[in-house]
Amino acid sequence: MMRKDIAISVFEVVGSPLCVASGDGQKVYERLASVLAEEHGAVLSFHNVHMLTSAFLNTAVGQLYGKFSEERIRSSVSVVDMEPEDAALLKRVVETAKRYFKDPERFEQASRDALEEEDAGA
Amino acid sequence: MRCPLPEIRHDHESFEALASLHAQTKDCYLEEIEIDLGQSAYFEADMCAALGAILYELGRRLNTVRLTGAAGGVAETLSGNGFLSHYGRAELPDSWGAAVSYRRFDVRDDHHFSGYIERELIHRPGLPEMPPGLVKKFRESIFEIFSNAVLHSDTRLGIFSCGQFFPELERFDFMVTDLGVGMRRNIRDRMGHSLGSVDAIVWATEAHNTTKRAGVPGGLGLKLLCEFIEANGGCLRIVSDGGYWEKKGADISTAALGHPFPGTVVSLEVDTSDSGAYKLAADVSVEDIF
Repeated sequence: MMRKDIAISVFEVVGSPLCVASGDGQKVYERLASVLAEEHGAVLSFHNVHMLTSAFLNTAVGQLYGKFSEERIRSSVSVVDMEPEDAALLKRVVETAKRYFKDPERFEQASRDALEEEDAGA
Repeated sequence: MRCPLPEIRHDHESFEALASLHAQTKDCYLEEIEIDLGQSAYFEADMCAALGAILYELGRRLNTVRLTGAAGGVAETLSGNGFLSHYGRAELPDSWGAAVSYRRFDVRDDHHFSGYIERELIHRPGLPEMPPGLVKKFRESIFEIFSNAVLHSDTRLGIFSCGQFFPELERFDFMVTDLGVGMRRNIRDRMGHSLGSVDAIVWATEAHNTTKRAGVPGGLGLKLLCEFIEANGGCLRIVSDGGYWEKKGADISTAALGHPFPGTVVSLEVDTSDSGAYKLAADVSVEDIF
């Protein structure tokens, strides 16, 4: 199967320009994780998003590091239409996530959780 | 039971008075409780979020709560933000046009909370002139505080908020209170660390510490708040269980409370005259995020 770059509009997924709640971040995470699991690339657009919090980004993006390798995320996910201050916040969230999942216990727990979710969905 | 309250400001003594009110009434059931504000010559408007949480818990235990004695400026403040209307008084217009209403939210009400902040804060008529960077940062800070309460408090009783602008003092106060388990118990139950109440707050505000559920990283929200307050020269206060923590600019002070507060309070005091530019870091290229 040929790899495609799939556009994900955060505004469309959340349905609001205010991307602040962890629950909304989970919706974005699920889209991103599905794209990566299918071996495609994701272009995450923040067009029309006016507000972001670390809680939203931790769940939407940071959580990916518990399921996919850093290399895989770097080669498969790109970000567009993001204000510089928001890009700086996302960068900090990503750094925090990398540090968080360097703890092998946390990484293994996240992998177990991901497998359980897949089993439950099967 | 009659419980007089003293002046309520943003200080250790005032939180001590509220924690003491909780200790005095926490076993009441089906009682008549009169909160007497007759001796309270001053009441910081946003502290309604902390008092409201305590009174909500009393109501849940089927007590009848009456607020009496509020007069002059205190009555105007507590009517203007709608607080007294929860206890039988008529809802009066905010005569100074500076109140952000007292509200209670459930943990699933994040969209309602967003609407409240946009309506009452960001798009309010007569919002003091502030640089867009500052407005963005304090809006972000308020959402971080609410998210923290949703994610960490385990509350089933709700999250309470209230705010007030002081245009002449160029100050904005905002408070979020949850009736959750508190930081000390949360850290003990989720991380296995047995800390005192003050140390638990210190732990939660230190970089990279988090009690979030497995699989979702965290530990950034309170750090971002601390950085913002340091840059702004404002003040951040956290009361949780028996601990009081305050950061004024770069200075941190802590104290223990004589009685535990039933949850966590986060109070933000922002200098609205601050014209500093806010950047989290040097410009980051979107190519360089992952």
